[in-house]
Amino acid sequence: MTQAPVLKVEDLQTRFKSVQRGKFVHAVDDVSIELYPGEIVGLVGESGCGKSTLGRTIVGLEKASSGRVLLDGVDLSALSGAALRDSRRALQYVFQDPYSSLNDRQTVGEAIDEALVIAGTRSPEERDRRTKELLDQVGLASAVRDRHTRELSGGQRQRVAIARSLAVNPRVLICDEPVSALDLSIRAQVMNLFLRLQKDLGVACLFIAHDLALVRQAASRVYVMYLGRIVEHGSSKELYDRPSHPYSQMLLASAPEVDPRIEKHRRGPLMIGEVPSPTNPPSGCRFRTRCPLAVDDCAKALPPSRVLSPGHTAACTFAADLHRGNRTALVQQEMSAP
Amino acid sequence: MHDEPLLEVRNLTVNLLTAKSAVRPVDGVSYSVRQGECLAIVGESGSGKTVMNFAPLGLMPTGVTTMLSGSVKLEGRELIGLPEAEIQKLRGKSVGFIFQDPMSALNPVRRIGRQIAEMAELHLDVTPRAAEARALELVKLVGISDPVARLRQYPHELSGGLRQRIVIAIALAGEPKLLIADEPTTALDVTVQAQILRLLKDVQRRLNMAMVLITHDMGVVAGAADNIVVMYAARAAECGPVDKVLVSPRHPYTQGLINAIPRREDPIGSEFRGLPGIPPTLGAPIKGCALAPRCELAVPACSNSRPPLVRSDDSAVLVACPVVNQGKAAA
Repeated sequence: MTQAPVLKVEDLQTRFKSVQRGKFVHAVDDVSIELYPGEIVGLVGESGCGKSTLGRTIVGLEKASSGRVLLDGVDLSALSGAALRDSRRALQYVFQDPYSSLNDRQTVGEAIDEALVIAGTRSPEERDRRTKELLDQVGLASAVRDRHTRELSGGQRQRVAIARSLAVNPRVLICDEPVSALDLSIRAQVMNLFLRLQKDLGVACLFIAHDLALVRQAASRVYVMYLGRIVEHGSSKELYDRPSHPYSQMLLASAPEVDPRIEKHRRGPLMIGEVPSPTNPPSGCRFRTRCPLAVDDCAKALPPSRVLSPGHTAACTFAADLHRGNRTALVQQEMSAP
Repeated sequence: MHDEPLLEVRNLTVNLLTAKSAVRPVDGVSYSVRQGECLAIVGESGSGKTVMNFAPLGLMPTGVTTMLSGSVKLEGRELIGLPEAEIQKLRGKSVGFIFQDPMSALNPVRRIGRQIAEMAELHLDVTPRAAEARALELVKLVGISDPVARLRQYPHELSGGLRQRIVIAIALAGEPKLLIADEPTTALDVTVQAQILRLLKDVQRRLNMAMVLITHDMGVVAGAADNIVVMYAARAAECGPVDKVLVSPRHPYTQGLINAIPRREDPIGSEFRGLPGIPPTLGAPIKGCALAPRCELAVPACSNSRPPLVRSDDSAVLVACPVVNQGKAAA
C-alpha cells in the first residue's frame, strides 16, 4: 500500500480508574493500528478485551491516557475547538443497538436533517436534497422519511443510523458490532450496505465485531485484540488460513459449525476460562494464563511482535513455529473448570 | 428411551391480549420431546419461539391476558387449563429454566450458595443443611473450580460464563425432567459459549433429561440438539432430525437461514447472502404462507391458505411449503 493511511493510531492507551483504590483498568494498552482509504478492517476479540474502548477513544468518546490518533496525518490531540470539531466530523461512529441510538420521537427525515444541521448545511433545500440522497444510499425508500423511527424494524433503524453518520461525508466509520442486534436474515442486507459504501464512497471502515466469519468475509485486514493489546494482525486470508498466535488459533477454533456431521465429531480444544481482569493483567504475555503453549519465560516479559510475512505480525514467542505449522495451540484438552 | 414423549405439544395457539391490541405469537404449533432428547427451536426475534415455551407454564408479563388453545402434555398431564397453583408446583421442579442473561436471572444481593440451596429446599423437601450439601454438589457438577469459596460469593463477583454456570446449577437443583434453555449462550463470548454448550449437553446426558433449546443461532444447534423446529412468524416452517434438516434443508426459509451464514469458501469482500425483505410484524394471523413476500419459490397460490406441515420424501422431516410439497398429502 503506497497510499498514506487515513487513520493512524499510535501507541494508544486508555486507562480507567478502578474501584480498587490506586489501581487502573488498562482497557487499551499500547495499541497501534492503521486504516487506509476505502478499506474495511476488522477488529475482533472477546468482550472485555477493549475493542469498543479502542473505537470510542479513536472518535473521542473516551479520553486517551497517552498515544496519538492521527487523521490524515493531523494529530487530533493537538487540536481544540472548531478545528477539532471539523476534523472529528470525518470520523463517525455506528453503534451496536439501533434501538437506543435513535430518538423515537423523531421521524426519519428529522433524524437525518438534524445530522445535516450539525454538519453545517444551512440551506433547507440543500438539506432536503441530501436527505433524499442519503436515504437512497442506505437503501431506504423515500416513503420512510415521514415515519417515526420507532415504527421501523431493526434493520431499517440501523440504516437510518448509518445515513446519519454519512451525513457529514466522513472518511472513516467506526462500526461497533453494527449487525449483532439484527436478525440473521437481515444481517446480510446491512453487511452488503457496508460493502457498497466502501466501494462507492471510499469510506474506510473499522469493523469491531465478535463474529469471526462475518469479519473474514467483509474485511481485507484483521486485528486480533486480547486484554487491551493487539496480539495478531494480518490480511484476512493470512490470518484465517494461518493464524499464528495461540489466541487467534483458539478463537477461530471455537466458532461452532452449522453442519452437524462436522460439529458432532469435533472434539476440538476448548478455550479455558475467561478473560482475566484488566485491572490486574497477568505479567508478561497477557494470554499465558489460558495458553496451552505457555512456558515460564512467557511470564517475564511481553513477547515482542514478530513479522511472519509482509503485513502479518503476531506477538508470541512461538509465532514463527505456529506460522510454519510446526506447532499448534489446538491440542486436545479435557474440559476443566475455569 | 420411553415411547411416550415427556413433553407433547399439539396444535398450540397463543393469543395475547393487552388493553390496546391482540396478537397471536404462536399459531398452531406441534412438537414433542422425549426423555434424554434435545429439541432446538430456532427462529428470529418475534417468531414466537419463547412465548410458545413460556406461556403454557404461566411465565408471561403482567398486564397481558394470555389465551391458550391446543394441548400441552407434560408426562401425560395436560397443562392447559391447569390452575396457576398447580403450574407453580411444576416450575423449577419438573421443569427447569435457563434464561439468556445470567445477571438478571440471579439475585444480586444474595450469596450464590443460598440461591441454589433455596431451590433444593423448596422443591426437594429437604433440610436446609441437606440443601447446602446439594448446592455444593451442583456447583461441582457444573464444573466450577474452588466450589466451597464460590458458594459464598455474590453474582457480581463472577464472570458471565461463571454466572451462567450458576444459573444452570439452579435450574438443575429441583431435579427437573425437562430443561428449557432460552438463548443460554447468546450473552456469552464464542469461547465461553462453546464451554457452556458442552456443559449443557453433558448434564443433559448424564441426568437423562429432556431439553428444549431456544435459539436464533443455527451455529449452536448442530452440536447440541437431536431434533429441530424452525419457526417463522408464529408457525413451524420445518421440523425433523437435526442431521437431516441442517444438512439438506427443504423449506425455503430454512434454506435461506443456513445459506445466510458466511462460509470459509466465500471469497473475501464478496456479497453476503441473505433473505430479501423483512419478517412480518406480529399482528393478526396471516392468511397464506407468511414467507411468501420474501420467497423466491412463491406462486400466487401461496397467499391463499396457510400451508400445512407435510411429510417430505424423508418421512422424518415435515415441511410447510406448498411448492416443496406439491402433490403430497398433509401429515
